[in-house]
Formats: sequence, structure tokens, C-alpha cells
Amino acid sequence: MHIVDPASSSAAAARTLSPRPRSLEGVTIALLDNSKPNASVLLERVGALLATRSGARTVRAWGKPGSSIAASPAVLEEIAGAARVALTASAD
Amino acid sequence: MVLGTDEFIPLARAQLRAKGLPGLPVVTVPHPIGGIPPSVVAVKAEAIVASVLRALTSEPDACALATDGASPLVEAPGDLDDFQSWLMEQGWGDGLPAIPPTRERVARLLAGSRRGPDEVAAVLVPRLGRATLEAIAANSVMAGALPEHLPVILAAVEAVADPAFNLQAIQTTTHPCSPLVIVNGPIARRLGIHGGGNVLGQGTRANAVIGRALRLVLQNVGGARPGKEDRATHGHPGKFSYCMAENEANSPWQPLSAERGFSAEESTVTVCGSEAPHNINDHASTTPEAIVTTVASVMATVGSNNIYLGGEPLVVLGPEHAATAASSGWSKDEFRRHLWERSAVPLAHFAPENIARFATIYPEGFKDRPAGSVAHVARDWRDIMVVVSGGAGKHSALIPTFGATRSVIRRITD
Repeated sequence: MHIVDPASSSAAAARTLSPRPRSLEGVTIALLDNSKPNASVLLERVGALLATRSGARTVRAWGKPGSSIAASPAVLEEIAGAARVALTASAD
Repeated sequence: MVLGTDEFIPLARAQLRAKGLPGLPVVTVPHPIGGIPPSVVAVKAEAIVASVLRALTSEPDACALATDGASPLVEAPGDLDDFQSWLMEQGWGDGLPAIPPTRERVARLLAGSRRGPDEVAAVLVPRLGRATLEAIAANSVMAGALPEHLPVILAAVEAVADPAFNLQAIQTTTHPCSPLVIVNGPIARRLGIHGGGNVLGQGTRANAVIGRALRLVLQNVGGARPGKEDRATHGHPGKFSYCMAENEANSPWQPLSAERGFSAEESTVTVCGSEAPHNINDHASTTPEAIVTTVASVMATVGSNNIYLGGEPLVVLGPEHAATAASSGWSKDEFRRHLWERSAVPLAHFAPENIARFATIYPEGFKDRPAGSVAHVARDWRDIMVVVSGGAGKHSALIPTFGATRSVIRRITD
């Protein structure tokens, strides 16, 4: 028996990741907080330790309007312009 | 790159696929990070720094997007019993038996539609699944729907895809919510969509299959599989099916569709990102003020999403409570205004941790408020939704919502 696929196709389109830097020396690290409790604690602690160990220049944090609302395109553009690498969070 | 807890890996991966970046690195810490002391979070952070550094400075493995759904037909077991097990293995079932969506059955469901099978009614998150008419019909067949149910299901699918509904959050949140479909207008009578006794229970085919079809579309096309992308801590029984009609004939007030600008000849669906119903028992009240006292007390609770996120808590008044609420001439708006005024919790009743959290989310309501302040269950009285439904008896139902979502109404057309 054949059935009609109940999942249908996905409109997701493949995108290319930008090349990774060889080291974080001198780069700016962006943190994007998903605004769940303690996300900033996790991100900031990882960011601070990364900066110490890798010689990154600085760590800057951005936020979202709420945990159930996506980051605005303006914030994403700002991060892309300001930082070489970015860490974000997903979870509770 | 993404940091997450191990419990949330399937959702993070699904999100990366939808963004077209399946190879983006994800580093995890043991769940949870919320509700534990910051010092414990810091220890979790320290344990992953080396992995984060490696992920940020080395090229990820090549990882192509899966081409699932490339073919519209899938081979399935012909035996009906084997089919049930197979459907669950594919992740396409809801646990109840389903009718195989053969090409013939799907074609029969679509025969009365003016729209073509390949037309995309909506693109559904988190998977960015294309809800074609054919795919919606396939899930509707599985749910047991008949051709006449399809226009209601289609309108509901289009409604949940409206940005105001915030489907991404409704599909993936830990909160127990699911779209409640409220049907207004002549189509409810024509199709036998029930708005009387046991309205939110079992026993009516139209309610059962319309709500179930929408759920299967959301799970299969939208890609919100329970325990994977659907992160609900408990969920609720309405996630099998959640559909009702307003009891317009037994309401003292205008129906929801009229409030929102539709005529009595037009049929509509309204979707709300809803919790399960909670009973409001009041066998004694004989005045509108007394009904408000009881309903408000059920609404005003510290653990409500609506109290800090806003949104539109829904009150489903039983016809007898509605008659009492209208007995001294109050309009529905007057009832809603009184209800909002009374549905308030003193800030002193909240735990300090929650006041601190809510102050960052809704500062006007929770930050540096004077002693004696209260939090209302909705930001504005107009945000309290009231419909009349159900049968005889002195009960009403409170249906809180996810909060960061707005109800969406659509006219049922084809």
C-alpha cells in the first residue's frame, strides 16, 4: 500500500556556515541570551573563561525581547557586524 | 554556535535544520540551568569551555539537509494492524488508531475543494513544513475527517500560521498548550460541531476529527513531535483534539465572531494557544456580581502564564452562568470589565524569585511597585475572552493560554 506522506516537504533552504577562525585571539565574542532564568549566568561564565583562555579581545552580550520571541533581525545584524563568533542558548 | 541543555538537543537540532544550518555546532550541559543556584550553573559552564573553544575554532563536519518529504507517496504496510505500529514508528501517529491516507482517500477528501492539491496553505514551524492541501488532507484522513470538515481544518491551519499566534513557541514550549479551535456561525450547525453538553469532552465526531486533524498537521507537517521538538512538560488531553462550537442559541450576548466584526451568516474559526479547561463550580450565585466573584477567584492565581506574560485567558461560560451574568442587563463587555477588575493577585502573594523574574519580563506590572499593588490576570479587560458554550448545569470553564500568543480568527471559505 502507498500512502500520501503526511509530513510533506520542508521549505528549509541550506545555507553555508562562514569559515571558523583558527583562534579567538583579538576577536570579539558575542553572547545572545535567550532570556530564560540563568541563561545569562551560563553564557557570561563561558564567555569570560573563553576570553581568558583564548586571548579574545572582548565579550559583549545581547538579549531577546522574551524567551518565546525570536531575536530581531536588527540585533542579529548588529551581532554580525560587531563580533567574529557568537554563542547563543536553547533550553530551560 | 549554540549552548543548550541535553534535554533540549532535539529542539536545537530541528531549529538548525529549519535555519538551513544543520552542521552548526551544539554544546550541551546537563539539564537544567533554570531554577538552580547560579554557582551550580557556573560549574556547568566551566566544564564545557574547552568544547566551546574547539567548536568555535574548527570547521564543523559537513552535514547536508535531509531530503525528507521529497516524494509525495510512501510505501506502508497494507495490513491495518501493522499499519498502526508502522505509523507510530515513523513518528506520524498520536497513539490512537489512524486511517491510512491512501491516494484514493486523500483525493476523495479534496474532491470538493476549489484549491489544488499542491497549493501551500501555510508553512508551519518549527520544521518549516509545507502544509499543502494534499498534506492537510492526508492528516485529515488519518484523523477520520470527512470532506465537509476540510474547510474548517484548512481555516484553522491558516489561522495558527498567523504570526500573531506565535506558533513557534506554542509548538515547542514546555507549557501545556495547544490550539483550541472555536467554531462560530452556520457551519457549526450544518456540520454538527457541538457546543452543548459535554462540549469539551468525547462523543461528537465533527469536534473530534477536526481538532485531531489540526493536531496531526502540527505534529507531522510542523514537525513538533512529542518529547522531541514538542518540549511540553506535561501537555494536556486537548493535544489529541480540541475543538468546540460556541452555543450561540443559548447565549445572552453576541458571539465571538460578531465581536470581531463578522456577520451572523459568516462562519469562522478562532484558534487560541490554550491550556486544558479548569472547572468553575458555582451552584449558588444568583447575581452577576456573585458569578464574577467565583470566576475571578479561579482566574487569579500566582502560577498563571497570563498573569506575567499577558495574552488572552478564555472564560467558557456555561449557558446558565451566562444567563445569571446577563440577568441585570450587563453586556458582555461590562461582564469582562468587572471580571478583569476582580481577577487580581496581591504582589505579596508571589515568591520573591518570581517577582524578580517577572519584573524583567513585565516591569510595569512587577518592578518597584508600591506596597499593596496587585497583578491582574490580563493586561487589559479587553484581553479577557468570553464565549458561551456547554449544556445544562452550574459550571463554567477557565481556559488559560500560553500568554505570548494572540487568538486568531479566520473566515471559513472553501
